[in-house]
Amino acid sequence: MTEIKLREVKTLKYLRPTIERGYANQTLHVDLSTSEISIKPLEEKVKEIFVGGRGFCLWFLWNAVKGSTKWNDPENAICISSGPLGGTPIYPGSGKSIVTSISPTTGSVMDSNVGGYFGPYLKFSGFDALELRGKATGDVIILIDGISQKVQLFQAPELPDMAHEISHILTQHFAQGKPRNVSVVSTGPGAKHTLMGCLNFSWYDTGRGRARYKQAGRGGIGSVFSDKGIKALVSCWDKVTVKTNNPANEEELKKVAKMHSREIVELDPRQNDMARVGTTHLVEIMNDHDCLPVKNFRYGQDPRAPNLGQEVFRRIFDKGFDGCWIGCTVACSHGVKDFVPVTGPYKGKRVFVDGPEYETIAGCGSNLGIFDPYTVTEMNFYCDTYGLDTISVGTSMAFVMECFETGLINEKHTGGLDLSFGNRAGALELLHQMAAGRGFGRVVGRGVRQMKKIFAEEYGADPDAIQDIGMEAKGLEFSEYMTKESLAQQGGYGLTLKGPQHDEAWLIFLDMVHNYMPTFEQKAEALYWFPMFRTWFGLCGLCKLPWNDIVPEDNKDTKEPAKVIKHVKWYAEFFGAVTGRSVEPGDLITMSEAVYDFQRIFNLKMGFGTSEHDNIPYRAMGPVTVDEYESRRERYDKQLVEVYGVEINGKSTGEKLRLLRKIREQMYEKLKEAVYKRRGWNENGIPTLETVKRLRIDFPEVLEVLKAHGVEK
Amino acid sequence: MIKVGKKIIPWREGMSVADLLNDLKDPYAYPVVKVNGKLVSRIDFEKTLIPDNSEVYLIPMVAGG
Repeated sequence: MTEIKLREVKTLKYLRPTIERGYANQTLHVDLSTSEISIKPLEEKVKEIFVGGRGFCLWFLWNAVKGSTKWNDPENAICISSGPLGGTPIYPGSGKSIVTSISPTTGSVMDSNVGGYFGPYLKFSGFDALELRGKATGDVIILIDGISQKVQLFQAPELPDMAHEISHILTQHFAQGKPRNVSVVSTGPGAKHTLMGCLNFSWYDTGRGRARYKQAGRGGIGSVFSDKGIKALVSCWDKVTVKTNNPANEEELKKVAKMHSREIVELDPRQNDMARVGTTHLVEIMNDHDCLPVKNFRYGQDPRAPNLGQEVFRRIFDKGFDGCWIGCTVACSHGVKDFVPVTGPYKGKRVFVDGPEYETIAGCGSNLGIFDPYTVTEMNFYCDTYGLDTISVGTSMAFVMECFETGLINEKHTGGLDLSFGNRAGALELLHQMAAGRGFGRVVGRGVRQMKKIFAEEYGADPDAIQDIGMEAKGLEFSEYMTKESLAQQGGYGLTLKGPQHDEAWLIFLDMVHNYMPTFEQKAEALYWFPMFRTWFGLCGLCKLPWNDIVPEDNKDTKEPAKVIKHVKWYAEFFGAVTGRSVEPGDLITMSEAVYDFQRIFNLKMGFGTSEHDNIPYRAMGPVTVDEYESRRERYDKQLVEVYGVEINGKSTGEKLRLLRKIREQMYEKLKEAVYKRRGWNENGIPTLETVKRLRIDFPEVLEVLKAHGVEK
Repeated sequence: MIKVGKKIIPWREGMSVADLLNDLKDPYAYPVVKVNGKLVSRIDFEKTLIPDNSEVYLIPMVAGG
């Protein structure tokens, strides 16, 4: 075991409360500037309106920051919470946590969800949420030990920098012979040197005898963590049983959990086989449907995509149980054992790689024109241990590669790096530069939005061209789906709270394949219901995969197959069985809507949250270049003629391109209007007074923000 | 013959996935089906032939992201 030196700064001993119906009923607050550790009771009203998880995190963050707060100001907070259902070991996917903070890349509120044991262990240790404020001097770790009933702040100057080493060492250090009792949150050097740092939340893999991790990737919260001087958070808890969360009705909980768990065991092998291949099954399916991003979202298909598909990763993944929470039957967190990187500080050494998942494969593979599974695996390993978000890294590099290939930037700017699409060595070198804050990596680490400004203002690149192809909205890089042919998914990315991440709404198949929503009103309804229901998972500590990735065989014959209503009913029963609050499926939407609209108003408080901030780059809507148009000419010509009644005879591709663009941009604006109306927002995308009153979030400070934006009686 | 879930469907020479769905009279817009464990997307339904004694599973996929 590696010896580590920790210097105790502060210790708070406490009496651990009994968990009551999924809640500890108190929260933990650490001010890193003053080393003050405090415990506060959870107000009933906060519990009732914000439910838990993302709701609690948003509430504490709202109270921590002013409208003028920047990501690296001491008052910015990092909040972590699981939720009332989080930590249930018998219901699939019940170990999630949400992290919120003011983001370095968007300047507004960011939420990121993650598996691993930390959130449930935090709650079982006696805290529904953790709020971290201030900045430490030197590297610190915070221990939340529910077994010994103490919270400790340590100086930890000698810990290694790499996340996988931090997780391993701290797990061993605090295990006392039971490593499964420990969960570590950490980041790495990439978080310090870029704005796209992620957080790694560990879970202990008993079968393989090692600490593994999942990532809260989006929006650079790892960079906030690093800026605060936090090296790691550690939570410790002992055995978890169904009684640990003290549900209101244990028998009902067991009944519904058994049904869902059994269904997954029976159907997953026949459907997506996620317990063996994770989300890699999506690679070829997306490719077949022209939705896999290739070369910076230019194309949706490439004949080499099967090289990154499920059958390849089925062979590469190490076989065994891969659940990031105890008892999950989806168990999709696969990994690669004894992988040997060919570059970087671990070149030639055997390492374990957690992943890759679909997003990483598409982001660090196809979108870079790279179709080699081992390069993707190496990118995955280094992103995680450097503390970098694989999605933002992939989408940022894809943008850079297109700029390089089209001459918008050149080797003078990249420091001699050839960043052509498909250059595996170039991509890996750029990643190492980003993590170390050297060379061109320093620029790329700022993210797409800041690169657009730098390329235009300092490198003389055409700002309009860059705007069209730089795949970010609200300052967040797009996750890895092609949206050109799905207006609903364009809204699913653009009309989000934090930026283009598919966790709010994934409507591509419902729109493109099933054609469930042909009208604007139907699309708007989907962009109301799905973001609300998906938000609910984040309030409760749940993973959404068991809801609609594995579906009942008779689901297709139900009135609304897209909603998987059988499972929605089970979730309502699950919520009632744990919390004792009897709810119907419709109530889940209402409780989410309150939090959702509160977050929209939070954006407003931070200077965003209006219609202009819901715009997306044209690459997300349609073909930007003649080459893109020509590659799908039959499709676009047909649409212009048959759908929009445009006469195209004698028109050049450039002319058709402009006509199509005008139509698609108008459609997106029309969609925005329909969605705002359905969500109870005004034409500028701001929730109305009636809406906030209906949702009971009409707190004085909320009304003040609305008033400042012209929304008042 | 072909096994589709719990149903047994007669096989014929040159039968494609599209033919099978037609025979089943199942109007659901399946994006993908599994033929002997291998995923076949809708774009390939017409051109993918089903061998005799195959096991087919129709995946009622609504999600992905």
